[in-house]
Amino acid sequence: MRVSALLGLAARTKLPSGYRHGTWRPGTGPEQRKNPPGQRRNKVFVEPVGRDEWKVFCGDTVQVLAGKDAGKQALVTQVVRARNWVVVEGLNTHYRYINRLAKFSGTYIASEAPLLLSQVALVDPEDRKPTEVQWRYTEEGERVRVSLRTGRIIPLPLRQRRDGVVPEQWIDGPKDTSVEDALEKTYLPSLRTFEEEIMDAAGIVETRRARKSYWY
Amino acid sequence: MGLLAQLARGLVRGADRMSPFTSKRGPRSHNKGRGAKKLGVLTSSKKFLLVKEMVPQFVVPDLAGFKLKPYVSYRAPEGSEPPLTAKLLFSEVVAPRIEKDVKEGAFDPNDLQKYGFEPTQEGKLFQLFPKNYVR
Repeated sequence: MRVSALLGLAARTKLPSGYRHGTWRPGTGPEQRKNPPGQRRNKVFVEPVGRDEWKVFCGDTVQVLAGKDAGKQALVTQVVRARNWVVVEGLNTHYRYINRLAKFSGTYIASEAPLLLSQVALVDPEDRKPTEVQWRYTEEGERVRVSLRTGRIIPLPLRQRRDGVVPEQWIDGPKDTSVEDALEKTYLPSLRTFEEEIMDAAGIVETRRARKSYWY
Repeated sequence: MGLLAQLARGLVRGADRMSPFTSKRGPRSHNKGRGAKKLGVLTSSKKFLLVKEMVPQFVVPDLAGFKLKPYVSYRAPEGSEPPLTAKLLFSEVVAPRIEKDVKEGAFDPNDLQKYGFEPTQEGKLFQLFPKNYVR
């Protein structure tokens, strides 16, 4: 019983205070080597952007405003909100060796460096020029991003699942309940408890009663 | 870096004192259980008497023709039913019966047993309060 309690607590691990976020996901091997427990690094100061004020998501097209690749547009592949970072595909790259072995010097690849939120601007879909964006509400009450220059709505990018499953194209396996069976309402409310209903269904008759006991 | 930081770094200076001392650790003479309930009574001659009523028995229904499976398809939309409250249960089960009787004129406020009213929980196998069943 204590084991299960420990397992339940470990499901939601909190990051230590003063944790320095990198581009790696917490829990992976490279991240654990870079940020071992008990490490204390100098604090990184980040411009506070509220949770509801964040405008850039994975899959958005953005234009880089500063740096080596200023003026170019590309898709966002990764977002690290804790440091106001946006990693854009193929831009702001430096080169490094990967899969280095003792004899083999490794593959030379281009790896993208993260850009700050202030160095990046969302792109208007029809104009294809960078704009300032605000969160506003439509008449139906939906929260959307509106570009201030043109007034057009920038739709949210399609959120893909991390396991790569596309629900609309999913084919049920032998252990999957079909949609109709899952949505079928078979519950009949009754005043009998679950145990009493099972006893009625199985034909179990129990005439003995528990001895009266007291606790304080 | 201080001693505490070095300890946290990789438990360099000895065993982990904070991990639980379970039955898997210690010498052969260390015998402790893992929290299982005792299903009987230990007599004065150190003999264990099993009480058959305390042994759990699984009542498994016949699952022939049962449509629900372990997993749910990804295509099913998200959502949940409204939680079942006492008010909802009453309005779905008891209220129609009372309404019907009131319209026929057969409603008797002294005889509420036929709608499921229980004046005491004494004598019941599964008492609602104090609750003497697990689920």
